[in-house]
Formats: sequence, C-alpha cells, structure tokens
Amino acid sequence: MTGHPELATGTPLLQVQDVRAGYFAGQDILTCVDLEVRRGEIVCVIGPNGAGKSTVFKAVYGLVPVRSGRVLCDGRDITNIAPQDALRTAGITIVPQLRSVFAQMTVHENLEMGMVTERDKQRVRERIDYVYGLFPRLAERSKQQAGTMSGGEQRMLEIGRALMYEPNLVLMDEPSAGLAPKVTRQIFQVIRRLNQQIGLTVLMIEQNARQGLEASHRGYVIEMGRIAHHGQARDLLGDPEVRRAFLGAR
Amino acid sequence: MSYFAQALINGVALGGMYTILVLGFSVIWGVMGVINLAHGEFVMVGAYLAWMASDFWDVDPFVSAPVVFCVMVLFGYLVQRLLVNRIINRSSLVSLLVMFGVSIILQSVMKVSFSADFRLANTDLDGAWRLADRLTIPVTRFWVLVVAVGVTVALSLFLGRSRLGKSIRAAAQNREAARIVGVDIDKVYAVTFALCIGLTGVAGALISPLLAVQPFQGPPLTLKAFAITAMAGLGSVRGALGGAMVLGLVEAMLALYVDRIGTNLAVVASFVLLVAALVLRPQGIFKGLRHVDATST
Repeated sequence: MTGHPELATGTPLLQVQDVRAGYFAGQDILTCVDLEVRRGEIVCVIGPNGAGKSTVFKAVYGLVPVRSGRVLCDGRDITNIAPQDALRTAGITIVPQLRSVFAQMTVHENLEMGMVTERDKQRVRERIDYVYGLFPRLAERSKQQAGTMSGGEQRMLEIGRALMYEPNLVLMDEPSAGLAPKVTRQIFQVIRRLNQQIGLTVLMIEQNARQGLEASHRGYVIEMGRIAHHGQARDLLGDPEVRRAFLGAR
Repeated sequence: MSYFAQALINGVALGGMYTILVLGFSVIWGVMGVINLAHGEFVMVGAYLAWMASDFWDVDPFVSAPVVFCVMVLFGYLVQRLLVNRIINRSSLVSLLVMFGVSIILQSVMKVSFSADFRLANTDLDGAWRLADRLTIPVTRFWVLVVAVGVTVALSLFLGRSRLGKSIRAAAQNREAARIVGVDIDKVYAVTFALCIGLTGVAGALISPLLAVQPFQGPPLTLKAFAITAMAGLGSVRGALGGAMVLGLVEAMLALYVDRIGTNLAVVASFVLLVAALVLRPQGIFKGLRHVDATST
C-alpha cells in the first residue's frame, strides 16, 4: 500500500502502553503490549491462535481489566473505560467477529440502531444517507431483512452501522471470519476504500495474515501475550521470519 | 346456521380475551427469554385490584383499568429490579423456578388477604345485544375485544416505530450486538418487564367481571398463555392476536359440535394446537422476536 498518512506527526489517536491484562489476577493473557494507531491509518494485528489478539481489543474496549499500563485515546487516558463510554466519549466503535446484524430488522432499521442513542431524527437520517452513499448496495436493499442477505453484505452492513456515529476509530475483529475468499477480498477492498475516501482509522485483528497485512499500512505480530514484531505492513510481508510463521512460506 | 354464527361470535370474543391475556407473557419471553410462570398470578392481582375498585368504590373495571395498569407497571418494575434482574443471565431453568416461586407467594398472599372466596367485579357494560332470534353479542366481551385490539395495535406501533421499541426488538434479536451499538440492556429489560406486567394487570381487570376472581385462577391462564405464545411465535404481537383468535374459535366450535364434553375440551384443545404447531412449525406460525429454543437463555 502506498501513501502513508500523517507519518509520525502529532499525537497518535490510540496508544496502548505497556499493557498487562487478563480476566483473572495472576493469569494475564497480555503481558506487555505496546502499540499505537495514528489518524487515518489501517493497522493490523496478527498472531497465532491464543496469542491474545482479541484480548488487545477487549482491553481497549474495557471488556477485560487492564492491570498495568495505559490506554490513551487522543492523548486522554481511557484505561478501563466502560464499554458504553468507549462509544460515546472516545468515539471507538467495534465490528465484532460473530454475526452481529439484527437479523429480523431491515437494513434501514439496522443502521438506525447504529445511532440508537441519538435523539435528533434529522441527524440520524443524514448519517444513514451518508452510509448509503458509501455503500450503494445497502441503499438498494434498505427495506430487506438483514438476515436474508449474503454473508458479505451482512458484513458491509455491520461496517456501515459502525460508521453511523462518525467514529474516530473502528475496531474490527477478524473482518474475514466466516466469509468465502472472494468475499474476503471485497471486504478488504471496502476497508481500504473507506480509508482513502473518508480517512477512516481502523485497528483490525486478522487470522488471514497475508490479506490483512496487504490491506494495512502497518502491522503488529503478537505472540504469547507480547508484541514480537512490528513495522510497515510491506516490511512484515517481506520479513522471512514472519513469512515462515504466518504466511505459509517455507 | 344461527348456532354456527353464535359460536363464531363467541369464538372471536373469547379470542379477544385471550389476546389481552397473552401479550405480556409473549413479549417477556420473546425479549428477555424468561418464561414467566407467575403470569397468571399477575393477571389475578390485576383482577383483584379491579374487583376492589368495583366492590369498595363502585368503579367500573373498564374505568379502573388505566389505574390498574399504572399500579402493575410499578409492581412489575419492582419485581424486575429485585428478582428478575439478578437471574436474567443464568440458565432459563433458574428463571423458571424463581417465577414459579413468585406465583406461589402471590397465591398465598392473596388467599391470606382475601380468602379463597370467588368474587366478580360489576360492570355497566354487561348484558347482550340481540342481533336476531338466538343470535346475541355479549357486551362485556365485545368491549374486551375492542380494548384488546386497541392494545395490540398500540404495542405493535410502539415496538415497530419508537426508538425504545426498536431497542427492545434489537435486544431480543441479538443482545451482544445491541450492547455494542449502545443499547442500555438493563433499561430495556426493566421497561419491557414493567410494561408487560402492566398490560397483564389490565387483562386481569378486564376479565374480572367475566371469570371468577380468586387466588388460584392463575395457573390455567399461564398454561393458555404458554400454549398460544409457543404456537404463535415468541414476542410476536400480531401472532398473539392470531393465535388467541385461533384458540378462541377452536374452543367455541368444540363447545358447539362436541356433545356434553365439548366445553371441557377447551384445555385439551390448546395443548393439541401447541403440540401440532411445535411439530409442524417450530419457529411459530407467525414470525416472533426469537425462535423457541430450550437451550437459549
């Protein structure tokens, strides 16, 4: 990927500093995680199963207690924030790994739900039109029940719904999970397009390391609860060690 | 012919009564996954409130119904905060047992307070309208039907159009996703439970001139609500209306066409319908808020 946004200027949007976190004291899943996401960047976290990828998200989102270290958003300390405040005050939204559309609601209602705490109806309508502009496919299907759409379309709806609040940062937990390879490519194209079109900042976790890194500016490799490698996505894709471990190269 | 027409009228009237009886049960199950085994007892408490208003102050149940609604909303809110809220995340067996306990407590409290004597509230909307020879419309049941349809439409609009109603549906369909988009699940559950218990109390008030008000009238009502809900689709408002009408008509026809024991087959009918529906269409005849699934909490 070419053209790196805001190289090393200003405060990063999200900073995770020396975070140690886990569900139970003494059994920390993350032992020392340092990472940052700058505005307008797509950052991908890869690593083997059980390394703690999802826990990084949960620590940012307040779903797992952070025992030491700090999480900063826009320079403000949001360590152990309550999940509902992560959305409201820090502007962080999440696209979870499991299907999360409201299956028996229409596409339109699903988008409305993305802004459920907003009372101003006019503003909700404007945001829905905005999302329809980004995803013409969703506009075509606005009256359709979300559960009857294909897996890829449902994923797009989830991403569209996450954009309703004008988030500063979108966390995506394995956007490719459960999708056919062809659809996976489309989803990564959508993420890159949104990044270029509206400067969307994304932190994602990917099992599919190659495609995840190819769609990203920078990447982190997490192993045994700590960051093992990090750097430009391009460099990680070329790193022999990373290639051997995660990209299926011999 | 006129017998058939009369049975049809009776069936629809009965269906109206079942509709208002089942709505609260159905929505609580559909949204919260709680099978409210104390449903019939909440009906009974509502019926006692209306009977008291009628007996002590001579207030018609159709007039006291809004007050009963408010009192029961408050009561429902307290039960939700003190009990249901603590067990909502446990297995459905726990909530089943807790609500069973609530039903026994309510029965006992009412028996100690009011004895087991049968009571009836008085309403001015009684008697029958004569349409033709041997063809009448029972007045009280007619107005119950009118209120039932009105409540069904209002609830349907609330769930379909309002922001809070949509949040309730969202929480029913996918609780985690609802949490992610910022729905306050605790609030949704409190509102749902309180509102549904309020409606259930209104049902009790409306049937207080029709069915004997007594501490042990609840269980058969809970069973009917269960049968209609599982048959029609959990939390489906239109389904509650449709299922209640089906059951009302089947019972009225049984009473007409089966000699002697026809009226006693009513309870059997609801369970035959339930079993048939579960075998043939386990997702409910109408689309509900969620599927019947014994393993979900």
